[in-house]
Amino acid sequence: MRRSVPVSIALILALLLVGAAPAPAQDKPRSGGELVFVVPSEPPSYDAHQEETFGVIHPMAPHYSTLLRVDPTDKTGTKPVGDIAESWTVSKDQLTYTFKIRKGVKFHDGSELTSRDVKASYEKILHPPAGVKSLRKEAYGSVASVDAPDPGTFVLKLKYPEASILLNLASPWNWIYKADILAKDPHWYEKNVMGTGPFKFVEHVRGSHWVGKKNPDYWDKGKPYLDGYRAIFISNSAAQVAAVRGERAMIQFRSFSPPERDSLVQALGAKVAVQESPWDCANLVAMHHDKKPFDDKRVRRALTLALDRYEGSKALSRITLVKDVAGIQVPGTPYATPPAELDKLAGYGHDIAKSRAEAKRLLKEAGVPDGFAFTFKNRGIPHPYEHLGIWLIDQWRQIGLNVKMEMIEASAYHPMLKRGDFDVAMDFQCGFIVEPDLDLPRFLSHSDANYGKHKDTVIDDLYSRQGRATDLEERKKILRQLEKRLLDEEVHVFYTLQWHRIIPHLAKVKGWTITPSHYLNNQLDTVWLSE
Amino acid sequence: MHRYLIKRFLLMLPTLFGVALVTFLLIRVIPGDVVELRYSGDRGSVSQDIIDRERARIGLDRPIWQQFMTWMLGIVRFDFGTSMWTGAPILEEIKLRFVLSLQLAIMATIVAVLLAIPLGVLSALKQDTWIDYAVRLFSIAGLAMPSFWLGIVLILLMLVVFKWLPPMVYTPFWTNPVQNLAQLIWPALAVGYRYSAVATRMTRSAMLEVLREDYIRTARAKGLMQKLILARHALKNAMLPVLTVVALEFAFLIGGLVVTEQVFNLNGIGLLFVQAVAHRDYTLLQALVMLVAGSFIVVNFLMDVAYAWLDPRIRYR
Repeated sequence: MRRSVPVSIALILALLLVGAAPAPAQDKPRSGGELVFVVPSEPPSYDAHQEETFGVIHPMAPHYSTLLRVDPTDKTGTKPVGDIAESWTVSKDQLTYTFKIRKGVKFHDGSELTSRDVKASYEKILHPPAGVKSLRKEAYGSVASVDAPDPGTFVLKLKYPEASILLNLASPWNWIYKADILAKDPHWYEKNVMGTGPFKFVEHVRGSHWVGKKNPDYWDKGKPYLDGYRAIFISNSAAQVAAVRGERAMIQFRSFSPPERDSLVQALGAKVAVQESPWDCANLVAMHHDKKPFDDKRVRRALTLALDRYEGSKALSRITLVKDVAGIQVPGTPYATPPAELDKLAGYGHDIAKSRAEAKRLLKEAGVPDGFAFTFKNRGIPHPYEHLGIWLIDQWRQIGLNVKMEMIEASAYHPMLKRGDFDVAMDFQCGFIVEPDLDLPRFLSHSDANYGKHKDTVIDDLYSRQGRATDLEERKKILRQLEKRLLDEEVHVFYTLQWHRIIPHLAKVKGWTITPSHYLNNQLDTVWLSE
Repeated sequence: MHRYLIKRFLLMLPTLFGVALVTFLLIRVIPGDVVELRYSGDRGSVSQDIIDRERARIGLDRPIWQQFMTWMLGIVRFDFGTSMWTGAPILEEIKLRFVLSLQLAIMATIVAVLLAIPLGVLSALKQDTWIDYAVRLFSIAGLAMPSFWLGIVLILLMLVVFKWLPPMVYTPFWTNPVQNLAQLIWPALAVGYRYSAVATRMTRSAMLEVLREDYIRTARAKGLMQKLILARHALKNAMLPVLTVVALEFAFLIGGLVVTEQVFNLNGIGLLFVQAVAHRDYTLLQALVMLVAGSFIVVNFLMDVAYAWLDPRIRYR
């Protein structure tokens, strides 16, 4: 029998509430079983230090440990806790971080992990040997040196105090490798696996699956709960949904779209639980500052004023992966813009008629005629690019602009942005941890990802100041100034809507908490199966 | 006969060279490259310096003609290089998937032949009766329905009606035949049905033609049994064009099941094709096109040999 729409919505809401509720006391972790999950991408190489795709993290993170990690129970994904670091101290000048390394952490070959391994791993990230890539070494510009004065101590010295350093050390990419192996061959980890994580490597069949089994010598006694896991590589989204629906897979850790969530909930009912979160990914609109009329900030401001983000959120969140109206940080995280502040930014007001009247006035003042036409270049991917693009065109039409959308094939899209071969284009960013130091460098004047080519020393200065502000409130204040300058006063770029992460999974999968990043919380040591 | 075979064999070489050249140039027309895709990822923040160095490492910064020469020299030594995406040897990447694709091609061919030959013969023998019409309807439906669509319908049926889905991971036949067949029988049926439709129509028309030949009339006149006439005289002679269709379709199945393999999530050559295109993995894509082109050329060659063996007029021409 077909369920009516209200019943389906009620069911979804009920399941969401169940997913969001804390685990009841009787939900005591149970050992055993194999977690089967779908991965929509596959690792190109096995070395996370030089890869960029979640296709590396999802199947492989359970084999490794990091110095710190993001608390697997923290829904904001912003709280660092020790992984192989048992504890740490910070010097008064905030320039020296001393980490005590856990005893009894063993590599899967049985050898003991020491601070020498941590140092060698960080040296590889910070100063990769010739011919070895390290994709995120720029994020550690503040680091002066790393040292291992004794086997149980790792010391990191900074050139200047940096607010984000602890979260940066919890990066899910910074797997700790074995120093002896790196000394012999710095490329070894590109094709081999050997870590200290909760699961040992069993096999990888390219294009098919990845298998891991429980590490009985894992340092956190009693964990992991699972006997093993199997990651199945499925690129086709319909096949991914079918795998969960047919109960051949239990979860997919990236995200499903709202219609896919609804179809799973309708088909599986109480057998499925849904966890949702604002996602640390957003689509922005880049406007080329060297091209007329987008060199005029009145025109740029008109483009953002035209957007009814709140109504757009309601409509688009039903069909694609966007939802929250947000500023430069993910809602619900420490540096997110408070709603009262957000309302004051251009394009974020609730009176859309007033905003659009202002937009029309600005266009007229800038000499842009009614019906002015331009091409909006968008990435050739359906979710959420195509949906957002159509919405943007409609919004701009309402202030008298005539916009044509050109979908650019995914692999040609980035070269197009880098060449600056656009007037207005869809831009995007995805972070692995919500942290201004990781999310905002793209807005600096010299950044490779500053596609609109704006030059703004005020932004550069504010960015530098916020990174060195170790007081939370002071940092928030500077970030609000930066945000106002970027999105309101100069409108160098503007955000559309925050992505929204949706993880429907079989209800028997327990102990996993959604975070805003699909790169986090994949070690699987806390995950268990209730049946 | 020998001269004929050598001539046919030598003709394969310029054909393969032509395929290699066209493939090499065409895939470089597609915008973007493997480095761009690999490092633009979700975040799109990798520095241009890293991208340039990676291009240099895998040789994409060299002139096109140099890249082509390196590739051709490798082929001569049967070295197809390494995948630009995974770094694994190309032959290893292909070998892994080839077994599944070959098994699926064989199973689909068995399904097709088992359906096509009896139905085609029956249809010819019962020309213009309801049986003929039913067979023709069945085969036209097979031609009209894409196999991937039939695959989707099969999967939905299994999911909705039986709440069951075929296994997601390939198990070799020798390891666990039940598991293996549980996964592959469905795509084999979907593909085999479409394949049988072509062969059924070919069998029917070839049989109709042969059944009107003088030697069939003579065989009937001298009182041979109908079964004997059909098996020994009619079917044997009608099989030549049917064999051609079956063989060419078999060669196509080795790498042509692009969408069907996606629908059933089969780790075969077709899915590898899709991934190679999506990743702009030039070396892998070139090798795959050569594999498929090679399969067609070898099957064609074997068909020519079979024709020459069966029909003396061809080898003496």
